[in-house]
Amino acid sequence: MTPDSDAALLAAVAEGRLEALRVLHHRHAPWLRARLARRCGDPDLVQSALQDTFVAVWQDAGRYRPSEGAAGAWLWTIAIRKLVSALRGRPAPVAAEAAVTESAEDLVLRAVEHGDLGTALNRLSPELRAAIRATVLDGLTVKEAARLLGVPEGTVKTRVMRAKAQLRELLT
Amino acid sequence: MNGWHVPDDLRAAYLDGGLPEAAAMSVEVHVASCQGCQAAFPVQEEWLEESWAAIADVVDRPAPRPLTRGLTALGMPEHVAVFLAATPGLTRSWLLGVAGALGFAVAAAHAADRSMLVFLAVAPVLPLLGIAAAYGARVDALYEVASAAPISGGRVLLLRAMAVLVAALLVTGAATPALPAFTAAWLLPSLALTGAALALGPLLAPHRASALLAAGWLAAVPAGREAVFGAPAQAAYAMALIPFVYLGARRWNRL
Ligand SMILES: [Zn+2]
Repeated sequence: MTPDSDAALLAAVAEGRLEALRVLHHRHAPWLRARLARRCGDPDLVQSALQDTFVAVWQDAGRYRPSEGAAGAWLWTIAIRKLVSALRGRPAPVAAEAAVTESAEDLVLRAVEHGDLGTALNRLSPELRAAIRATVLDGLTVKEAARLLGVPEGTVKTRVMRAKAQLRELLT
Repeated sequence: MNGWHVPDDLRAAYLDGGLPEAAAMSVEVHVASCQGCQAAFPVQEEWLEESWAAIADVVDRPAPRPLTRGLTALGMPEHVAVFLAATPGLTRSWLLGVAGALGFAVAAAHAADRSMLVFLAVAPVLPLLGIAAAYGARVDALYEVASAAPISGGRVLLLRAMAVLVAALLVTGAATPALPAFTAAWLLPSLALTGAALALGPLLAPHRASALLAAGWLAAVPAGREAVFGAPAQAAYAMALIPFVYLGARRWNRL
């Protein structure tokens, strides 16, 4: 663990070192912002979600476990939930069980790079793709995905089901 | 990851929003765990510094006051707790003042048995003074806070009054066992007067209503212990509370 690795910086943040949070912010804010912006068209909400993310990191850095995956993936699980909270218009605590969805992401990544799933995903309607992205890639619960996408929970469930069925069909 | 990194044109398309979903997902998953590709994202220095300043500002803020922490620990939403902790009638100086007045009243009651009346007269006035303090001189600053808080202005008034009332009742309640003769005779008049102040608040402004009621109460007390604190009087205070509670609930729901 080099002193400027994400894991070392998060450990320093957990000890209350503000400078470490600043380095993490400068390193991760640009890509987190771009990724949030793809999910929310309102720059103000993106900005406030991003700010809430690093404030949460300041408070919860001690919860990061390097064995559970890259710090970037961990930061994203916080950021996407902060975006969901920002959309709801009031603060919500980061769920303690906000597990890093590394394995699901890896699965998608491998399939995507393999080629077939990529083509199949691109053939999904934008609504179905957004539902898959929120639940599989972003690892949100159905409830959180519903907030993010602005549709009822039942709709999210149906869309995910349809998307999966369609993917299976396209892949076989 | 396998020596592959996000090519510049792919990243540009991603930032444009024009990248097909599957490729975008691929970019996102890779970037989340590749420091090199994270660093390759374009940075607007000015935005970065401003955005950091906002975070440092929040994070560097002094720890919340003990009262705020206590209220949040009891399950109160943070914005309400922060707001209530800023209530003038709940500051330490105000509570010390209340405790001082009560100490004096208790001492008077010990000095001469007849002076029990002093305690009984003073106790119901304390929450009224708290309400007056909360809405008097600082009323403008209060509305400023009110407009920034995600609570409607009217609810803010009721919420603060309730907080002041509860604090005053707790302090007064704590003083009661120190009296020569145990009495809770102050409780119902105290509640009735606070209720009246809140009911009259919208007509007179809360601090004026409080002052008026406090003056009326102190003028009525010399009528005698039995007349002001006896069973019929207590029943009347309880009856008077009913419309106040009803009015308060209606106003709360309308806000
Ligand atoms: Zn890379």
